[in-house]
Amino acid sequence: MAEFNIQTKKLTANIVFIGVQGFLDAHTFEEMEKTINDLFDGGTYRLVVDLSKLDYISSAGAGVFIGAIGTAQENDGNIVLMKPSPNVKEVFDLLGLSQIFPFANDIDGAQKLFA
Amino acid sequence: MPDVHDRIVITNDTKFLGFVREFMSRMIRQSALSREDENKIILAVDEAVANIIEHAYENQREGTIEVECEADAKKFLVTIRDSGQKFSPDGIQTPDMDGHVKSKKKKGLGIYLMRLIMDEVRYTFREGIQNELVLVKYIGGKPKAPQA
Repeated sequence: MAEFNIQTKKLTANIVFIGVQGFLDAHTFEEMEKTINDLFDGGTYRLVVDLSKLDYISSAGAGVFIGAIGTAQENDGNIVLMKPSPNVKEVFDLLGLSQIFPFANDIDGAQKLFA
Repeated sequence: MPDVHDRIVITNDTKFLGFVREFMSRMIRQSALSREDENKIILAVDEAVANIIEHAYENQREGTIEVECEADAKKFLVTIRDSGQKFSPDGIQTPDMDGHVKSKKKKGLGIYLMRLIMDEVRYTFREGIQNELVLVKYIGGKPKAPQA
């Protein structure tokens, strides 16, 4: 089982890349929530979240993004989700979130969504 | 006699959710369920158990949760038992996702997913004994209700 891991990297002055790996569930969601809240506290509201290495997401994990996208958008930002695996995308589809979140296939595509 | 039958018992700590998911994956792969259903049924059970961990045992009291699987050619049945306080999923409303996003609400989606994925969700509370939640997925589709 892949260890849960979050990495952040500044793409531009106001866009941050978040790579998340492993299982985002009721056990790990608080770590994801803290990462996003820390970025918001630092004034960054444009986030690209790479889900390509995320093996699994439950409603607790999806809830982090649901709770945060409003704050991002209120501050001229957004949360762009990148390359979810079929299992992870299925959960977003089941929750009806695929119409709410912008999705991108790569970093360039994600950055264009902020233009 | 079911084709697949096994159970696990965990304590009420989210660190054991991975163990529950691995158990469910093993049970599903031994059953006649299609691989397409695997992720969804693991999710439904994860949501049910996470909900019990969050709500059943007040003041972080330690308790146990039993997950039992039985499957034959026609249905896959999961029974989840705990001895915490009563918490029926029956009263939980279907969420309005736009409203969820606008109000920045993060919770209340697990039971909705559980109901969406499974063909039947039955809850029983036995005073002083335990809560029992039964989740059923019919293999090859839900049987039609008998005609009146």
